Amino acid sequence: MRKAISIIIYGLLMAIVYLVYTGVFSLVEILLSIAIGLIIAYIFAGDIITDLSKLSLSRIYHAVAYLIKYFTVIEARAHWSVIKIILSRNTNPKPAIVRVPFKADNPYTIVFVANSITNTPGTVVVDMDENKKAYYVHWLTPISLNDDDAYRSISLEFEKHLTKVFE
Amino acid sequence: MIDWILYYLGLALTLLGGIMDLIASIGFFRFKDFYMRLHAATIGAIGGGFYPLIGLALIALSLDLDIYIKAYISGVCVIAAALIALTAPAGSHILARATHRSGEVVPKVIVDRIKEDMEKGGNEK
Repeated sequence: MRKAISIIIYGLLMAIVYLVYTGVFSLVEILLSIAIGLIIAYIFAGDIITDLSKLSLSRIYHAVAYLIKYFTVIEARAHWSVIKIILSRNTNPKPAIVRVPFKADNPYTIVFVANSITNTPGTVVVDMDENKKAYYVHWLTPISLNDDDAYRSISLEFEKHLTKVFE
Repeated sequence: MIDWILYYLGLALTLLGGIMDLIASIGFFRFKDFYMRLHAATIGAIGGGFYPLIGLALIALSLDLDIYIKAYISGVCVIAAALIALTAPAGSHILARATHRSGEVVPKVIVDRIKEDMEKGGNEK
């Protein structure tokens, strides 16, 4: 039963993507999109959806709020700081590869925090260690080389929001 | 009124994306290290790829066209932007990780925690 519901939800999302991409909204096209979406969902839903009971409106609300905040405030600030370095007269930053610990357990949280760190200019995740629970981040303008200070200024904000979405 | 706002917001985002691409290409020349150039590449992918696509979606929504065509163009733009935002960091990760593990480029950094941990023997290759 639970598997059927997850297949239906995932299949309808795939059908919407298909409809948007083809741009034709006739009845035949809608039925075809639902059929293809259900086939794809039957193959992949078991791997992608791990726990359906976590699906709730508050998580979706937190995800949308995080996306809006990330793509307006956080990205703009990070872009501006790197653009200032590029256009400054003397381009000689002193980067460092620092260790940034994380506390999350869910693989989705780990991946999305790493993607958020890399998507902001100025920090790139070079490597990660799942046993030690740490990312290794190449940081263009390091404020501190200490693990905890790096965690506070790089990934605390991402992890705080994303644990509300995925954990 | 709302069309006007959407049109000029989209135009501003698209222009901003062009400027970001220019700055990213300048950054490629001014940074002297592989890892520092990755940061310039991030500006090119997000500032120069994601935001112009969102701007195009807003412009398409503001035009005086059939609702199906508007939904089609802006939907494709938003999906392409989401795919860029999800897949560009994966490419950066794999380039940085492969370069560091192969030892092809020695990073010009003040501390290198990966090397320290590997010398301690904790991080097996």
